[in-house]
Amino acid sequence: MTANRRTFLKGLGGALALPMLESQLSAADANTLNASGPPLRFLVVGNPFGAHPANFFPKNFGKGFTISPTLKPLAWLRDRMTILSHTDHNMVSGHGREISFLSGVLPTDAQAFPEKNLSLDQLIARHVGSAVRYDSVGAALEGGIRMSWTANGVEKRPFTDPQRLFDHLFLNLTPQDKAARRDLLERNGTILDTVQDQFKGILNTASANDRVRLDQFQTSVRELETTLANRNDWLDKDKPTFDVSDQLDQANATIENRYDAIFDMLGYAFEADLTRVASVEFPAALKYTEIDGVTRSYHGCTHNGKREDVTSELVAIETFQLARLSRCLRKLDSIREPGGQGSLLDHTIVLYGSGMGYGGTHSNRDLPILVAGGGFKHLGHVDARSNTGAHLPLCNLFVTLMQRFGIERDTFNTSTGTFELPHA
Amino acid sequence: MRRLLAMGALLAGWSLAQANPALLKQHCAECHNAEKAKGKFKLTDLGLVPTAANFQRWLDSADLLAAGEMPPEEKAQLTAAERKQLVAYFKSGLAKYEATAKLSLRNSPRRMNNREFANSVAAALLIEDVGTHQPVANLIGDSLHHGFDTHSATLGMSKFHLEQYVEAVRRIVDATVLTGKHPERHRIEVPSTAIIAAHTSQNITRPERRGKRNGFDFLDPKQLGYFETFKTAPETGRYRITIRATGLDRGVYNAQDTGLFPADPIRLNVEMGDRIQTFVLPDNKVREIQLDEWLAAGTRLRLRYPTDGLTLRGNGNFKFQNAIAGEHLKATNRKLWDEVVANIKTRPSGRVLRPESWHHWVNYWQGARPRILGAIVEGPFYESWPPQRQLALLGKNPSAANAETILRPIAERAWRRPVRDGELKPIVALVQSKAPQLGDVEALKEGIIAVLVSPAFLLLNTNDLTPAERFASKFATFLHSTLPDADLRAAVTSGRLDTLTGIRAELGRRLVNGEAEPFLRAFPYAWLELNDINFMAPDPDRYRFYHRKRLSEDMIDEALHFFRHAIEHNRPLPEFLSANYSFINADLAKLYGVPGVPADSTFRKHVFTDGRRGGLLGMGAFLTTTADSLATSPIHRAIYVMENLLGIHPTPPPPDVQIEEPDVRQAKTIKEILNAHQAEAACASCHRNIDPYGFAFENFDPTGAWRDVYEITPPNSDKTVRLPIDAAATFRNGAAYRDITEYRAALLTPVNRDRFVRSFITKALTYANGTEPAKSHYAEIEKIVTHSARHNHQILDTLAALIHSPLFREEQHPVSK
Repeated sequence: MTANRRTFLKGLGGALALPMLESQLSAADANTLNASGPPLRFLVVGNPFGAHPANFFPKNFGKGFTISPTLKPLAWLRDRMTILSHTDHNMVSGHGREISFLSGVLPTDAQAFPEKNLSLDQLIARHVGSAVRYDSVGAALEGGIRMSWTANGVEKRPFTDPQRLFDHLFLNLTPQDKAARRDLLERNGTILDTVQDQFKGILNTASANDRVRLDQFQTSVRELETTLANRNDWLDKDKPTFDVSDQLDQANATIENRYDAIFDMLGYAFEADLTRVASVEFPAALKYTEIDGVTRSYHGCTHNGKREDVTSELVAIETFQLARLSRCLRKLDSIREPGGQGSLLDHTIVLYGSGMGYGGTHSNRDLPILVAGGGFKHLGHVDARSNTGAHLPLCNLFVTLMQRFGIERDTFNTSTGTFELPHA
Repeated sequence: MRRLLAMGALLAGWSLAQANPALLKQHCAECHNAEKAKGKFKLTDLGLVPTAANFQRWLDSADLLAAGEMPPEEKAQLTAAERKQLVAYFKSGLAKYEATAKLSLRNSPRRMNNREFANSVAAALLIEDVGTHQPVANLIGDSLHHGFDTHSATLGMSKFHLEQYVEAVRRIVDATVLTGKHPERHRIEVPSTAIIAAHTSQNITRPERRGKRNGFDFLDPKQLGYFETFKTAPETGRYRITIRATGLDRGVYNAQDTGLFPADPIRLNVEMGDRIQTFVLPDNKVREIQLDEWLAAGTRLRLRYPTDGLTLRGNGNFKFQNAIAGEHLKATNRKLWDEVVANIKTRPSGRVLRPESWHHWVNYWQGARPRILGAIVEGPFYESWPPQRQLALLGKNPSAANAETILRPIAERAWRRPVRDGELKPIVALVQSKAPQLGDVEALKEGIIAVLVSPAFLLLNTNDLTPAERFASKFATFLHSTLPDADLRAAVTSGRLDTLTGIRAELGRRLVNGEAEPFLRAFPYAWLELNDINFMAPDPDRYRFYHRKRLSEDMIDEALHFFRHAIEHNRPLPEFLSANYSFINADLAKLYGVPGVPADSTFRKHVFTDGRRGGLLGMGAFLTTTADSLATSPIHRAIYVMENLLGIHPTPPPPDVQIEEPDVRQAKTIKEILNAHQAEAACASCHRNIDPYGFAFENFDPTGAWRDVYEITPPNSDKTVRLPIDAAATFRNGAAYRDITEYRAALLTPVNRDRFVRSFITKALTYANGTEPAKSHYAEIEKIVTHSARHNHQILDTLAALIHSPLFREEQHPVSK
């Protein structure tokens, strides 16, 4: 980070004024926003190697479960989360399959699925669409873990530089960039106008039978015109200011500070309704040796040969990830939902997990999966197996989460049903 | 008048009904009365004549009686004459209904699917494809309806779709019509040390592997090679790419170890976005590959080693292959092997790796592989400035004042019809309003985009087209998944395609001379639901070979080869069921247990002598698609045969039925489990009909390999239980079979042959029309079946009759000129 382009990121302290909701800025969007109460959001946090099972999964099931060593940072949330044991995507062991975390589908098998290996976050992002400025935002340090995929099987890369994430979220466009974008929006808008005109001709000759399909087309044109107009409005609106500290300053730029900065920015983006879908990834390549007691690489720690000292390093890395998440959730929980009941966390579905079960055994079964927030009546630690002992397809949980979002579907990729998770 | 007609129909129906209810009552009322209503059917459902509501009942009754499947075998049977009489009764009722009901022949409009969109944009713009910058990758994936990607109700339109269309078309037009300065040409020499293997793993801090002085070798086939100095094309234009490459070490290792057949040549893929070219490399001799390609700015140039091998070891990741190098050295160069083993060091973690471990042998790898010695990329070139493709679209010195003249031919191609007077006005106005601000060429581009996102382009089969234009468009969409070309439109206008003979000739010409690739691929994909093959893939641990050699791709290729062969040789349709041959390569031969097939990846026609395989019924594609991951499901297979091959649509189970999950711990055969539900009255009436269609396949495991016994390992036990397979069953009409060979014979009855032909016609019409033909069009379909029969059911003659049918034309036959 260069000194002359310093970003001031001061944690979401109490000194901050409550940000103005982005979407409240435009009357046009107020309708979409308030139609169904305060918005729901989705935060997913993933890692590539799963979790050391004995330290991650609590020893007992039920709401009164005893918090496990890895989950210690989330102890304060014990009554407000669900941990699932025995759920996975039924994948063979080995690295490389964890990229199916949010879809249950490997890119190589994606052709069999109409939405390819579309990941859960991107499905929700598509649903939220242009109601907010950014349909989704992904962030990581280093490379990310390849967990976000679009409906065409295209990988969605996270921001890996917090500075760039900051610019993306909070920096206003230069007048030239604005002009270029406005020009494109205007051009597309004019094309749609022209299409509307031509469409009238086709509609005139249509039989009653045809009209259903044709109406669909006409509605599409109209809705898209509105969207483009909205986007033009977004361009005019200045982004909320996020005037904060120097966590990213050279001297302080530990991975802890940088991840906290990422979570702060995303939390603020939720609060200001800049976006409703965010993902954070903890990659393999990160220098976890900055953490107290960690001397080996992340991957090296997973192959610990059951040695206690190495295992404790792995648990330290996994605890570190959950501690970052915990800090973010505490913040979300301290903020009252703008225009709604409860805290921001109550209106944010949080999913933590991995597409790999445990790197040490290369197992891709028994994935570590945790759900918090989202207004669910959480269940504590759940044995998700069916009566016959079959593991729960993780996509069943995903169907439940998307239904909470009001997405009317009952299947997703490899799902066979839903996961029973009641909400208030 | 109308009243009289209706009464006439009623009277006719009545007199027929008089002739037969006695027979119906006598043989059917015992089960199909109001109280029992077996199979959810009672005689009174039939009424006196067919109506829109009970038409299906009439159709089913005719079919089941004709097939001898009703009354069921244990009940008193009809005499042959009685049966004939009843079938005639139903058929005449059906035909009368169709003649009087004034059924609409028109199908709904639909939007193009993504395949058709890409082909059609390219055709409208006169370019080879949409471009190498993956301009359509943003389109929302099309959902399939029972395998079909042409299904109109499934191809929805939303603002998301429309926005993606605008974006995609803009990207394509931007790479076709160039504004701005003539870009400078560069010549980039790429030495082997500037060729790099891109990361495939999560570990990205490790530096990417770079080629050595003597060349860049492909090791892991998952790895893509790229040029450090030419990662993407900087400008749009024509590039000359010269790659010097060779094939190394073919056949050094055993095929059993590597999964690479020594007889297969070593290939190299050059991938420019979605445009992929494959080249065969000679052994140890340098081939200079020359490409001359129009690349869009931003095109990623990537090289790949295409093979399904090198995944047999460990969990399939490439690194485990290196152990083969150690084994090979141990056998052929013991001295070197000893030397390496003597130098094995304790790892920093304290682990000591065994000599067999892959880690020591990475530098000794001698698997068959391509090696790139170097490359030269030169470009962009332009035959002229502006480039030819731009001149072809806009002409010389295009101006906004001429927008109408310039856009007209583009619109006429894109809209599949002549442009009407005044129709281009709004688009011309758009161009002219933009010209002062954007310049003439940029403004004309806006006009082209408007032409290509207009409903006349994006929507198929609207009333916007005349019947003749619609026919040309449907014909082109059916065969080529694109716009009708000028030849085709001229042929339709001239009336050449008004006759069956004309269509047969046109079809033959287009199918045989390689113009109909989209049909040869997309239709069998849809009909046979090939996209579903890995939806419930065989268990990766239990059926390793299936996954390690990507057998699903071979299986799909087998089905596509068979279909292509049928078309190219105009084979009779029933051969899809009766053939004793299919097309296999060495991997499928291994799976199918066929000895003596050349050890390579080439597909060859093979005649099976055991009576078990050949045609669709023995194909891995069908047997795998219909199986679960660990077990087979006779019901899924039965439903597939009934619905996709015989056109029988069994009623789905009532929604309140609890389907019990088979408990594998019981160590019972699937048949024992299914017998339990056959004993239940609620299930039995339908499953007695369904299950016999599927039991015969029980000797084929979830990957389609032959098995003589079930091997079941109950959970929490390492003992494998072997249970005998019972692949015998009895159809409802009493025809019994003991195994797959007798089952295959049973499917060759004239009744089943007709069912298959009818089903094929229905599927092809579904593909063409975007919706299943209405059941009430029974008689029109029968006409195609009859024509097909007159031509020995040959596939091209059947398809010609189908295209000539009012069901395809969506109008009664045009009067021949």
